[in-house]
Amino acid sequence: MQDALTALVLNSEALPQHAMDETPSRQPNPASLRADASTGVSDERLMLEFSKGSSDAFTELFSRYKQPIYGFFRRRVAESAQAEELTQETFVALLRAAARYEPRALFRTYLYAIGFKILRAHRRKTAFRAAFFGDRLSVPDPSKRDATESSLWVRRAVEKLEPMDREILLLREFEQLSYAEIADLLQLPLNTVRSRLFRARTALRNLLEPNAAPATQNAPQPIGRKGERV
Amino acid sequence: MNTTTHPFAPEEIMAFVDGELSAEQTQAVSSHIGQCAECATVAANHRGLSEQMTSWRVELAPARLSDRFSAGTGEVASRLDVLKRRRSPAFRYAIGVASGLAALVLLLAIAIPNLLRSKMAANEASQIARQRAEETSKITDPYSPVPSASPRSGHGERADKGEAKSDEEKEEVIHSPRPGLTLAAPMIARTVSLSIVVKEFDAARVSLDAILARHNGYAAGLNVATPQGAARMLQASLRIPAPQLVAAVAELKALGRVENEAQNGEEVTQQHADLLARLKNSRETELRLQDVLRTRTGKVKDILEVEEEIARVRGEIEQMEAEQQTLEHRVNFATIDLKLAEEYKAQLSSPAPSVGMQLRNSTVNGFRNAWESLLGIVLFLTESGPTVLLWLLILAFPARLVWRRYQRSLAMGSSVGV
Repeated sequence: MQDALTALVLNSEALPQHAMDETPSRQPNPASLRADASTGVSDERLMLEFSKGSSDAFTELFSRYKQPIYGFFRRRVAESAQAEELTQETFVALLRAAARYEPRALFRTYLYAIGFKILRAHRRKTAFRAAFFGDRLSVPDPSKRDATESSLWVRRAVEKLEPMDREILLLREFEQLSYAEIADLLQLPLNTVRSRLFRARTALRNLLEPNAAPATQNAPQPIGRKGERV
Repeated sequence: MNTTTHPFAPEEIMAFVDGELSAEQTQAVSSHIGQCAECATVAANHRGLSEQMTSWRVELAPARLSDRFSAGTGEVASRLDVLKRRRSPAFRYAIGVASGLAALVLLLAIAIPNLLRSKMAANEASQIARQRAEETSKITDPYSPVPSASPRSGHGERADKGEAKSDEEKEEVIHSPRPGLTLAAPMIARTVSLSIVVKEFDAARVSLDAILARHNGYAAGLNVATPQGAARMLQASLRIPAPQLVAAVAELKALGRVENEAQNGEEVTQQHADLLARLKNSRETELRLQDVLRTRTGKVKDILEVEEEIARVRGEIEQMEAEQQTLEHRVNFATIDLKLAEEYKAQLSSPAPSVGMQLRNSTVNGFRNAWESLLGIVLFLTESGPTVLLWLLILAFPARLVWRRYQRSLAMGSSVGV
């Protein structure tokens, strides 16, 4: 166990740094095993140090993941205050779980798993209140927000996707999770993640470019046999 | 419509764009894309879509969020303190020692009163045992004077004098010390119940007879049961002279493992004294009637009536004498209710049912159980089905409404944010 941990940490430090920001990247997922350029310490090592009581380690982790986690929630809930609250809950949960932390998986996956659980609990709670107590669900109105026309179209298109497909697409595009990490997080088979992601992208493209001729030769089509497109 | 065959599926092209393929596959797909315009377009579409999504940006996280989690304040500080304390070896050592001491104190707090109680109980028990032994040594003749005077003779003397005594006087006779007479011990009828499990039943039976003979006792009743496929059992009611009760019980206990023991002592002093008083009165009545018969003359009818009265009183006297004997016998001979059970050993030679018979029995039992279960379900449904159905019908519609509302709320709650 200790050897595996050492190997993991060493490998993660050896890999090139990949910023975990809001900008989707086409790079394969080195971000999952990354070390920050400024400190040169991997997330996993920082978390281990934090679990031993290092406040600097937590500060560093917080500065690395504050914005991604906030963005994760902000894209999924209606109001910024809710996103802020859920972000806070996620880091509080991290604080509470620090003593029990074991680097079995990447820290990033671990943190998003916490965030995802908190998000689901929030959704259940909100839906329950709406169903049984008549609380009004706060549904975002994209037209009232300060956003570019392009982002407005993207948001509206994403909103029309099937919930699970949408979640997979968001995790891939914005949280930069690998297929395996998404499968782990959502408890789905890897192939299901891949096929659903493909379906989500196809649907999104059709929604964004209705004239893009979904059945043209350029678009990926349903496959009869492997590689055969009609 | 034309059909083009490609070596890679569109999903693989997407995985290539996402960097999810192995090195070999990446190389192969890359080469193919270089040659195939159609697949290159698919890859470009995926890249374009991702770039298009970059327009969806969110605002920066509020600064107050950072303030809440700055090290040294609030939740972080307290949590870090906990972590530091938890990891400190000295702190952990102190916690361990304190926990150990607390556990020890708790243990002592629980154990010491019990120990004290046990010790006191043991002292009490030994004291009671000593008293019982003393009582037993006196119990053969409860009114016998120690060392010389006899209460019975005392009674006799008084009876001869024809003194009628009140109940208080009788009580005094029994309990109050008299000159030249030490305190008379109470008359106690002792009963002991013993359940003993023995390994060797036959040997135990022989020992039991020997114990009875040694202590001049006898078996008032004895019953031995030897059921097939079960342990043998002996039930006996033994009568042992009271002074030898303790020794006899000790020897009986040595026969095997004592499973249950109960001792009882019924004080019959008052009962005995009452009986003696009534007996004395009846005897005096009898004497007076005999005097009347001897000295007076009269009609034959009167004589016959006196004779009848003498006969009645005589009958009462004999009955009371019998009761007195029984009572004294109960006091002089203690009763031991003994249950002697054999430690059961399964007999190797006991014939087991054949496999076929066991199968048949289990099959019959299985079918019977299944049938009874089925019948039970049918009976339950016929009895409660209409009520359950009615409630289902009543609740189905609102439940469906609530469920659909919940699902709708859940779906709306999972919509996108900004």
